[in-house]
Amino acid sequence: MMMTAKERFLAALERKVPDRLPATTHHVMPYFLKKYLNGISCEEFFDRFGLDPIDWVVAQKPDESKGDFFDPTQGEPGFLEPRRVCSENWRIRWEEIPGQEYRTVRYHFITPEKTLGMVLQSNDYTTWVSERPIKEKSDIDILAKYLPAPLCDAAEVNRRAEAYGQRGLIRGFIIGFDVYGQAGCWQDAAVLFGIENLIMETFYDPDWVHIFLKILFERKKIYVQSLRGAKFDVVEHGGGDASSTIISPQIFQDFVAPYDAELTELAHQAGQRVVYHTCGGMMPILEKVAELKIDAMETFTPPGMGGDAKLKEAKKRIGERVCMIGGFDQFHFFNECSPAETRKEVRRCFAEAGEGGGYILSPSDHFFDADLSLLQAFADEARQCRYARG
Amino acid sequence: MNELLEKITLCIERGKADLNSPFPADMQGQVGAAELTQRALQQGISPNRVLGEALITGMHRVGEKFSRGEAFVPDLLIAAKAMNAAMAHIKPFFETGEVRRKGTFVIGTVAGDLHDIGKNIVRMVLEGNGWEVIDLGINVSGEKFLNAIEQHPGCMVGMSSLLTTTMAGMEKTVAEIKAKHPGIRIFIGGAPVTKKFSDKIGADGYFPDPQGLVEHLERIHPR
Repeated sequence: MMMTAKERFLAALERKVPDRLPATTHHVMPYFLKKYLNGISCEEFFDRFGLDPIDWVVAQKPDESKGDFFDPTQGEPGFLEPRRVCSENWRIRWEEIPGQEYRTVRYHFITPEKTLGMVLQSNDYTTWVSERPIKEKSDIDILAKYLPAPLCDAAEVNRRAEAYGQRGLIRGFIIGFDVYGQAGCWQDAAVLFGIENLIMETFYDPDWVHIFLKILFERKKIYVQSLRGAKFDVVEHGGGDASSTIISPQIFQDFVAPYDAELTELAHQAGQRVVYHTCGGMMPILEKVAELKIDAMETFTPPGMGGDAKLKEAKKRIGERVCMIGGFDQFHFFNECSPAETRKEVRRCFAEAGEGGGYILSPSDHFFDADLSLLQAFADEARQCRYARG
Repeated sequence: MNELLEKITLCIERGKADLNSPFPADMQGQVGAAELTQRALQQGISPNRVLGEALITGMHRVGEKFSRGEAFVPDLLIAAKAMNAAMAHIKPFFETGEVRRKGTFVIGTVAGDLHDIGKNIVRMVLEGNGWEVIDLGINVSGEKFLNAIEQHPGCMVGMSSLLTTTMAGMEKTVAEIKAKHPGIRIFIGGAPVTKKFSDKIGADGYFPDPQGLVEHLERIHPR
């Protein structure tokens, strides 16, 4: 019997066998929709290609019992951007800096003791941090004292889930630093302090790194505990700076795993499934990631995309413990190849990771450019990857 | 190898920069690459020997481990930190001409790309192997590369790109440089970059790790 997209996703996430290979994509980038599809919506994108839909829901709210409130200076949130939370002791001012090569915005986080500064730049594709807010080690004390901890807006999540019904997956995130951050504690710390600085401090001042990670953990913990009752199908955790192309397995074990494992456990207690995102090298840390007790892992970036994923080997090593998501080389097989080659790559992924279910086919992270005929070949071939029913 | 030089090599390989370095834990309280380099020079070992037999050897060892998947980016970073501490004592000999650089290497992350950890590692490994590195930083335009090339005749060029979105910019920059300086050698790297891409855009080589680049440079530009 044919499953709904939601049933198909959930079967895979629970490492069961769906009716066919679930096939979707990571974030559908606004740049891509605008450039190639006249700015159609995400939902129209999924329908056009016949992919299994995902609704990425960003829903956080201030803890009013603590006097926190939404940042009144924030305009309409951008792509996957949360509504920022402030307090009397954590106010945000921002200004656009003119005359820069890229759109440049300076943020001031104003606290009673000190103002932290952060600069973001953006182009048509994406946004990045060009000045980190943590410049001195003592700056983390400012975060500890004044950075508000948002809560999940479960009512909003559930409204979206209700509206989406069986159409597809409701996916959320463990919160990061409001202006620019990501789910994992290590990942957020890397955004705030710089990955190279953070790595060096693991050698020179590991105690400080642990204090920093603990501060970020405590904030995320409050959010994760508030996830109870929110009808997400899966929430995203982790981040690419925890991949083995950036850090060593030892650093993963000592500085990433303790905090991210505990958050995973808390998310489970709140009734949520967790997908761990590492868009980079994974093979040397596969088991260590699986030991976080997460439900799914992504992105299984192949060597042609700068990762190291070997799907077949990964399936053998951790396939019985987690659902695998990704593995498709979108750079080479959404561009400059024939539809037959794209279809062949879909079949390779299915053959290597699909056996017994527990696999969701997806590009290994988002993409900005794609030949539409190849995207169609990807979706069409995936729908033909059926599981034999026992 | 001289015992002192071997100790320096070990300090580089394990990332022990100086006496005050708390890392590695089992070497706490011991002198590091900086003090041992100073001691070697005081004992009359030539700076060329210290550089070639101790410092470069240390970086080679960790680079080879990285190529084999036995070391990771943090291991390269900490080794480079120790190398830099030792190099502070060798640098004056570059200025007097007693020690010669292997050549000049201009490096940068291409326009639109702000990711610099890979580029920084290549810079550190090259410096540790005796190259003068002109680091143009991140988000480097073709014009900036061209200016640096004109200021450093005979240099080689390295550029990195982490994002697939900036790879087109890499192709454009390589074309701009080759149009003005057809003989210059340009090497590329970065997560999504491949040999096929390097061949396609007319670069002179792609290396997935810094050690591969160093060894290639040794072959084409021996001293």
